[in-house]
Amino acid sequence: MNNVYIYNDTFLSLLNLIDYLILHHIKPYQIKNSQYQSTLLDNVVHLAIEEKDIAGKIVREMGSYSLQQMYYVFLSNVEAKELILYYFYLNGLKYYRDIFKYRNLKCVDKVLKIAKLVQNECHKYKGFVRFKEFNNHVLYAEIEPSSDCLEILSIHFKRRLKNEYWIIKDVRRNLLSLYDKKEFHIVDGTTFSLDNILESREEEKIENLWKAFYQTIGIKERKNDTCRRNFMPKKYWKYMLEVKSEL
Amino acid sequence: MELIEKLKILADSAKYDASCSSSGSRNESKNGIGATAFSGICHSFASDGRCISLLKILMTNSCIFDCKYCLNRRSNSIKRALFTPEEICEITLNFYRRNYIEGLFLSSGILKSPDYTMELLIKTITLLRKKYHFGGYIHCKAIPGASEKLLKELGRLVDRLSANIELPTENGLKLLAPNKESKKIDKIMQYVKENQSKRFVPAGQSTQMIIGATKETDLEIMNKSAAMYKNYHLKRVFYSAYIGVNHDSLLPTLENPPLKRENRLYQADWLLRYYHFKVNDLLNENNPNFNILVDPKCDWALRHLDEFPKEINECSYQDLLKIPGIGVTSAKRIFSSRKVFTLTFDDLKKMGVVLKRSKYFITCNHKYLLDPSMYQKKFIESNLILEEKTPLKKEYEQLRLFNE
Repeated sequence: MNNVYIYNDTFLSLLNLIDYLILHHIKPYQIKNSQYQSTLLDNVVHLAIEEKDIAGKIVREMGSYSLQQMYYVFLSNVEAKELILYYFYLNGLKYYRDIFKYRNLKCVDKVLKIAKLVQNECHKYKGFVRFKEFNNHVLYAEIEPSSDCLEILSIHFKRRLKNEYWIIKDVRRNLLSLYDKKEFHIVDGTTFSLDNILESREEEKIENLWKAFYQTIGIKERKNDTCRRNFMPKKYWKYMLEVKSEL
Repeated sequence: MELIEKLKILADSAKYDASCSSSGSRNESKNGIGATAFSGICHSFASDGRCISLLKILMTNSCIFDCKYCLNRRSNSIKRALFTPEEICEITLNFYRRNYIEGLFLSSGILKSPDYTMELLIKTITLLRKKYHFGGYIHCKAIPGASEKLLKELGRLVDRLSANIELPTENGLKLLAPNKESKKIDKIMQYVKENQSKRFVPAGQSTQMIIGATKETDLEIMNKSAAMYKNYHLKRVFYSAYIGVNHDSLLPTLENPPLKRENRLYQADWLLRYYHFKVNDLLNENNPNFNILVDPKCDWALRHLDEFPKEINECSYQDLLKIPGIGVTSAKRIFSSRKVFTLTFDDLKKMGVVLKRSKYFITCNHKYLLDPSMYQKKFIESNLILEEKTPLKKEYEQLRLFNE
């Protein structure tokens, strides 16, 4: 029987489900979130599981680094990420804190590589996000990340732009992060309207200053397009005013 | 003059400084804008592939000095401009809010006197920090010859301070920068080293050397770097391939900047700082310049083939670091993983080891990946040269490898 187990989309509910399956010696065919479209051959299973302090358990057994890496994998857009986490956790209960030494295990290798990709993308976006000022006081930026970076970026900008109102929109997932000078709230893009916004008067002037700076700072004698693209792949360019025109 | 015009002039004059890092500091504005990220963040990459992290500008490109290699020397007739402190704050804050930059890198030509210039820099940064409560990254140049009191004041406001040594020997300085004395730069570095703390230049100090403007060998350059790392605990020495912006009988005429040489120096710099190499391991009096064809670590390994191949599952951590194609991260991974299982070549690949370089120098479980009869210097060397990514450009024509 192709049992597909469904979790309710949060990281902790996924961990709880995986923990439950392992404790009951159930080997899942697949684990999927609530948006899963089942096929004829699937047997979709919703389990009512008692929530427990699963994050605490993982930190105690496998260390906080493991939990962090698992969270990054959860944020990725990798197809079978839930199963990878299942096998990772299964081995974690066997090797505990030594789990990362076992790089010859496929699940460990995958977790580390996927986590690295997600971390890299989040880090790149910390630099590449471009805000525009609207209505003379609201900063607005759009991103289109492969992995779900919005929360990590919001934590970053909350610390950095704490006295500003800002909005970051994940265009791909249609999610908005709204910051009100105290806390950020991630909401569905359909529940919040972005009408009535007007670019601030100064905006064009400042954008021109930045473009002029960008044009000037490169050294002609050292021109190196390959190097630039390695560090700043074209997928980011769409929302970056200084290179948008080169696309 | 329009602000945009000034920005163009003063960014153009600042662009030859190689440093752009924004790492090493953990500050946060309490009641204003800005915070630093310990790892540093790159916000864009310029057409030359260099990272743009900071708004890199000069306060002014007017200068009373006449350093031969410098675009801003007194005797050049170029457009001159001067930012007011308010203008610098305005641009920095507007760029920072929109996440264009990680902070400010402020340098300046010498106006009137070193003290006068330094006071202007301090005035600007004080405004930024105290009036606008800016908590982002600030890297500022210390002006050689300015008083200790001003250095102390500036150091408390910035994350990083730097003073550029520019040329590795006193003779080079005398020839090309007669107004500069290495004594004055040493004094700055000594002072920063003695006073560095969480409140004074928390991200440490760095410096820069121009490569290829004078006749110094790589050995002289590396010795200078090693001495500065040791004596002044510098965070970084930057190397900047000389680009001819001026015509002068004392300056060399190079068709292309010596980028590959610069690259080799950076590689060697890393070997000194993270791989326990000494300058003498890499270069000596008979062999004072780096091999342009293979990187310094491979070059060293080729000269010490009797110490290789090393067994990945047994050799010490120090020895792992000496193997070409293995970096600090992969050495650590190997070291911790081999305690729990015996590594194969496949596992090495997974750990990020660059097998195309390391395969000549290692055994895994006492197996050599290639035919053991190929373990010869000539064979390995020619293969490693082919592995080098960038094709060689004209810059090497003058080098011994071709002309001998």
